[in-house]
Amino acid sequence: MKPFEEQFTAWVDGELSDAELAEFEKQLAAHPDAMAEKNGAQRLGELLRAHPTAPRLTNPDFFNHQLMQRIAAEEPRPVEKERSVGFWSLSRLVWAGAFCLVSAFGLYEAMIPKPGSHGTDTDSKYFAQVVESWPSDPSISATTVYNPDDNVTVVWLDGLDYIPASATLQ
Amino acid sequence: MATPSNPVPTEAPDAITGPDDLELVARAQSGDTSAFNELVTRYRTRAFSMIYNMVRNEQDSWDLAQDGFLKAWKSIGKFRGQSSFYTWLYRILMNVTIDWLRKKQIAGGTEFDDQIGLNNIAPGAATAPKGEMEPAAKISDSEIRQRIDEAISKLSPEHRTAIVMREIDGLEYTEIAEQMECSIGTVMSRLFYARKKLQALLKDVYETI
Repeated sequence: MKPFEEQFTAWVDGELSDAELAEFEKQLAAHPDAMAEKNGAQRLGELLRAHPTAPRLTNPDFFNHQLMQRIAAEEPRPVEKERSVGFWSLSRLVWAGAFCLVSAFGLYEAMIPKPGSHGTDTDSKYFAQVVESWPSDPSISATTVYNPDDNVTVVWLDGLDYIPASATLQ
Repeated sequence: MATPSNPVPTEAPDAITGPDDLELVARAQSGDTSAFNELVTRYRTRAFSMIYNMVRNEQDSWDLAQDGFLKAWKSIGKFRGQSSFYTWLYRILMNVTIDWLRKKQIAGGTEFDDQIGLNNIAPGAATAPKGEMEPAAKISDSEIRQRIDEAISKLSPEHRTAIVMREIDGLEYTEIAEQMECSIGTVMSRLFYARKKLQALLKDVYETI
């Protein structure tokens, strides 16, 4: 429950809800002068509003002139300095970072094969040319083929008529 | 629900021609002092009056309004348009004024004892000092203003701020709490004691006129 002071203020200003008003009115029995106090507070408010004491601003143009002189004497505002920190502002750095991340993800998805991603494509094979080999005959070239269905890599040796028994793959 | 008669200070008091506030603010944020000068012209009278209601001295009000506008210029880059320009400016002016009142209070060794004269006043009790003025006597406007000035000057900065914001500037509790950075309950409590003291000091006035 709110303290009496807060409830009384809300009562004077007509800010109590119906439930709060009903509850507060029960307390008023202990404060016989409360209604007179409320009327007094409201009349005080009317007095303050009816007699604004502030005089008119004299020499308003001089007010502006003096202020503009003070502004001119000030250093450039910090915000101006913040704006001249160069091309790489914080927002640009954030956007550039996000672009790099998206690009890296895209390249990864496009270029790097995933082990389970080609399980349904039975025709998928990966060919590779062996670029460094030391055949006895220069006409022999080597190629590898990977078959993911069987998880087997086959080595093709074009131009090789036979494999000597001493060089049989173990 | 009853609401104060004065409008909440979210808009300019007078009809405005030319660019709107936000356009002027945008130009001021890019360093255009003439745009800021136009904003000052629009709100200088209101700012001066608001400050005067707090400090009750014309020269101090002038100086504080100058300081407030200068502070607004320095920090206008932080204005994001989440409220009206005047609401934002009002807060700056009020903070400048409250700080000044507190410093003056400390420097002058003044104690704004809001309990003075209230110790024997229970909530709901009659508050008028007796026999201060003949009820039938007619008080002139200038005398009334002087009495109001004197009465408000006896309030602490916090109580003065609360009563001025509520009764003269017409702000809601939530707006006062936001401006003063305190709870709504604290605002209501401050209003309670500020009214009590002003009623004690001005009852003969408002009952005479």
